Amino acid sequence: MEKKIGVYICTGCGIGESLDIDKLSEIATGEYNVPLCKTHPFLCGKEGIQVIKDDIEKEGVNAVVIMGCSPRVNYDVFKFPNVVVERGNIREQVVWSHPANDEDTQMMAEDYTRMTIVKTEKCELPEPHKEDISKDILVIGGGISGITAALEAANAGYKVVLVEKEKELGGFAAKCFKQLPTKDPYQELEEPIIATKINEVKANDNVKIYTGATVEKIEGAPGLFDVTIKSNGSSSTEKIGAIVLATGWKPYDASKLEKLGYGSPNVITNVEMEELAAKGKIVRPSDGKEVKSIAFIQCAGQRDEEHLPYCSGVCCLVSLKQAKYLRAQDPDAKAFIFYKDMRTLGLYENFYKTCQDDEGIFLTKGEVVSVNADEGGATVVVEDTLIGEKIEVNVDLVVLATGMVPSTKDEAILNLEYRQGPGLPELELFYGYADSNFICFPYETRRTGIYAAGAVRQPLNIAACMEDATGAALKAIQCVEMTSRGEAVHPRAGDISFADFFMQRCTQCKRCTEECPFGAINEDEQANPLYNPTRCRRCAVCMGACPERIISFKNYSVDMIGSMIKAIEVPDEYEEKPRILVLACENDAYPAIDMAGINRMEYSAYVRVIPLRCLGSTNIIWIADALSKGIDGILLLGCKYGDDYQCHFIKGSELANYRMEKVQETLDRLVLESERVRLLEIAITDYDKIPGIINEFLEKIEELGPNPYKGF
Amino acid sequence: MAKGYVVEPDVGFVRELQELGGDTLKKCYQCATCSVVCPISPENKPFPRKEMIWAQWGLKDKLICNPDIWLCHNCNDCSAYCPRGAKPGEVLAAARNYSFQYYAWPKFLGKALANKKSLPWLFAVPAAIFLFLIFLGYGKTGAEPGKIVFSKFLPVLYIDAVFIPTALFAIIAFALGLKRFLTDMNGGTMPPVGAMVKSLKNVLPVILRHDKFKECTENKNRYWGHLGILYGFLGLLIVTGLVFVMMDVFHMEDPFSLINPVKILANLSALALIGGLVVVLYNRWKTRETSGLGTYYDWLFLLVLLGVALTGIFAELMRLAGIGALAYLCYYLHLICVFFLFAYAPFSKFAHLAYRTTAMAYADYIGRELPVEESEVEEKSSEEESSKE
Repeated sequence: MEKKIGVYICTGCGIGESLDIDKLSEIATGEYNVPLCKTHPFLCGKEGIQVIKDDIEKEGVNAVVIMGCSPRVNYDVFKFPNVVVERGNIREQVVWSHPANDEDTQMMAEDYTRMTIVKTEKCELPEPHKEDISKDILVIGGGISGITAALEAANAGYKVVLVEKEKELGGFAAKCFKQLPTKDPYQELEEPIIATKINEVKANDNVKIYTGATVEKIEGAPGLFDVTIKSNGSSSTEKIGAIVLATGWKPYDASKLEKLGYGSPNVITNVEMEELAAKGKIVRPSDGKEVKSIAFIQCAGQRDEEHLPYCSGVCCLVSLKQAKYLRAQDPDAKAFIFYKDMRTLGLYENFYKTCQDDEGIFLTKGEVVSVNADEGGATVVVEDTLIGEKIEVNVDLVVLATGMVPSTKDEAILNLEYRQGPGLPELELFYGYADSNFICFPYETRRTGIYAAGAVRQPLNIAACMEDATGAALKAIQCVEMTSRGEAVHPRAGDISFADFFMQRCTQCKRCTEECPFGAINEDEQANPLYNPTRCRRCAVCMGACPERIISFKNYSVDMIGSMIKAIEVPDEYEEKPRILVLACENDAYPAIDMAGINRMEYSAYVRVIPLRCLGSTNIIWIADALSKGIDGILLLGCKYGDDYQCHFIKGSELANYRMEKVQETLDRLVLESERVRLLEIAITDYDKIPGIINEFLEKIEELGPNPYKGF
Repeated sequence: MAKGYVVEPDVGFVRELQELGGDTLKKCYQCATCSVVCPISPENKPFPRKEMIWAQWGLKDKLICNPDIWLCHNCNDCSAYCPRGAKPGEVLAAARNYSFQYYAWPKFLGKALANKKSLPWLFAVPAAIFLFLIFLGYGKTGAEPGKIVFSKFLPVLYIDAVFIPTALFAIIAFALGLKRFLTDMNGGTMPPVGAMVKSLKNVLPVILRHDKFKECTENKNRYWGHLGILYGFLGLLIVTGLVFVMMDVFHMEDPFSLINPVKILANLSALALIGGLVVVLYNRWKTRETSGLGTYYDWLFLLVLLGVALTGIFAELMRLAGIGALAYLCYYLHLICVFFLFAYAPFSKFAHLAYRTTAMAYADYIGRELPVEESEVEEKSSEEESSKE
């Protein structure tokens, strides 16, 4: 595309009073020969926008450089169809955070003008990748979560394929005698809702149900999935747009709980108790005598390093519910609950209170020492009780509150034909649960277009599963719709750019196929990368990984950022004006720097900030370019990584840190001090630390002295 | 395998405690805020946290024979701070009410005092006795017309004939109840009498000075209320004893002059009693949200006491005003109230006087530490420091 660039400098918001605007214009028209450069006191206003629109229409401008506020604001105002728009941030990051009419502030604004023009020159208009896609939604698992997800999607007008491994729909919800309260005031048990839901889903014409079926394999990508379903000995294939994984949980293997008496008569699990209650009268399994007393042992094989290290979140409520079964059967019956901590989340506190009020329910914290059970009942000894001493109770029945294990723990279930494996990648954070990051992105998995809901995602009760399934169904719908328009899904929702592979120079090193956090890239037999645009989240981590620099986006490339770096004017060492390059993740670090400006916090004017899609997209060549140009120090600001990571692309900042080893090689080659490049983790809320971080780094660099490559 | 204390919750006991004023007891979730805020709870095994779970679990044997439920002075700081509205102060009061019944002899009277339905009968008994005596003595005592003399209305001898056996009965009932109580607290045997008397001497000044009430924060002015009631009551008890001696031994004639020292003591005591009752009743009402309105036992006792004081004062005022019919009616009602107070003392809240004193003495005997005053701690630590020097 032949570009005609127009540069527009806004002088509002204090910019005009703080900078020599004429000098900035000279850079555009002089240094870069930009044919059109205009200033306006209120560029985002109606008149300002009209000036740009007129130039686009009458002058044939097709690339617009806006020098003004941060690209994080007014992005909806500075939006012109089929025109490249780039923004130079001289408001938040220049005039709001540096002294007015100062030489260094002016130099900063000038550099940003150069960088933005260069970027615009390199930038191409992206066109969406469009294919004929299926908008059908596959729901794996026919329990309460799966059925809810299927119904929600079907009622929104989408075709749904529901796959259930058992012969009947319903899952664990169908085994419940009663259901925990699902509505205010959260005090009384309810009749299970599952039967109604099963009938509804069976009657829905939009839902195709496979029972006694499993997913044999899934090929393709969002919008283009080919799903092979094995059902009753035969296989069939469905074209699918997006997938909801709702395969739920399985009970923890109680045979490992011999210490708590499992295996002896009259010791059962909470799942078996539910079945016992559903049959009618609660009777002793050994002799059929009506049960008069039960001891519930909480956290049986849970919050225990030898068994499940986590809390299953629902067992306290389930035991309270089952205690209520017994109390409803016999007003003189006694239910003992021995717990580590009572955990009844949210409004279920009300249900806990109701159960507490029952005079026949006896609760105490305690450590169960022994369970001795025989045909005549059981004796449970508990120490460290609230009674103040070791106690012993004689009961008819012992119920072990065992926990939930995600169905994905030992099986891939999805059976994806992906280069990175058949299942969801294990993050080693969630004990096998298909969760990505519980703080920011519920339902998201690291496989685009596949959303986890219900107890496979985290231990949940029925009401929470239904809420979860609704959310996941919406995410799946969002995915098929955006994919049909060629747009990326969360977190770069709506981005139509996609990666371009210049295959002639590919060395089959596999770094991109291995490092893509979302498994978007498959491989052929020769280890050539096979890119799936609809799986791609556009983080550009592959672009950072590629040693041959053959991966680029139309509006984001190694060359583009490299050219921006090269556009920075580096004063020679006698001027004593060092230059620091800041590569900032645009999700957290860049807005934090903006916020420092909004709060009028001052920091050194020697820094030049470039926003990146993800710190993981940092290509080592940029570091080498910057250092060999004479830039004195480089600061990489990314999101927190590790167990409580906040990286929007999960592995991006971690990979950037990993690549710092390679950076070291570059530094060694150039015989430069390792302190010149530093990677820091920063959250959006850390904006108040920005001046400190920058100034401290600058001090360190000044100690080291100027980069000897200046002037080369 | 080492065995533990075999727990057999008594669901019936839980329900009884709830009916006796501890209806909130199940709400406790054992955070122990109560034990922390209680200004008079000992450092070691403080109440009322542990009593709350014993109550919830229906562990009657642990709860009732435990002196701690009596060391509680019902300040209700715990109830005010309880995050669950479990009102530990009221639950302990319910446990004490249960004790009145549990240690009562004869049992049926214990039950009758707990039951609102028995109330008419309990009043009907003295009403009938005194009505019968008035009939019996009517016209025989030679009252001068126009002059109101209570001893002519109902001879002193008749009154003695009722109250001396009543007092004896109450003393015996108390003795039996307290003996069982002490035996229970001491794990099945009576503690040595000598040691108990010594401990009683230790705690009596504490009781008379109302030290414990002074430490309450939530219901501070109850100190004055209880002080007024106790000393008003003691004053009237002394007056009754003196009058008994004056009339029966020295055959002095009533009514006594208003400037007679005994009369002055009587009137001042009555005023103290009424003043104290007003403070306590007002306080109960004011703090009903945070501390609870109190139990049936509380109100019955307080109202009967108020009845005693008011009927006494009104009988005197009516006599001075020369309105015979009203004076005699008030006197009649006064006698009923006094009978109610003393005859049923071992089974009503009146009994707390004996049970709490006994429990406090027992706590002293077993060396149950009481919280150390901060000033004492400072003194001690400064002493230690100086001794180190």
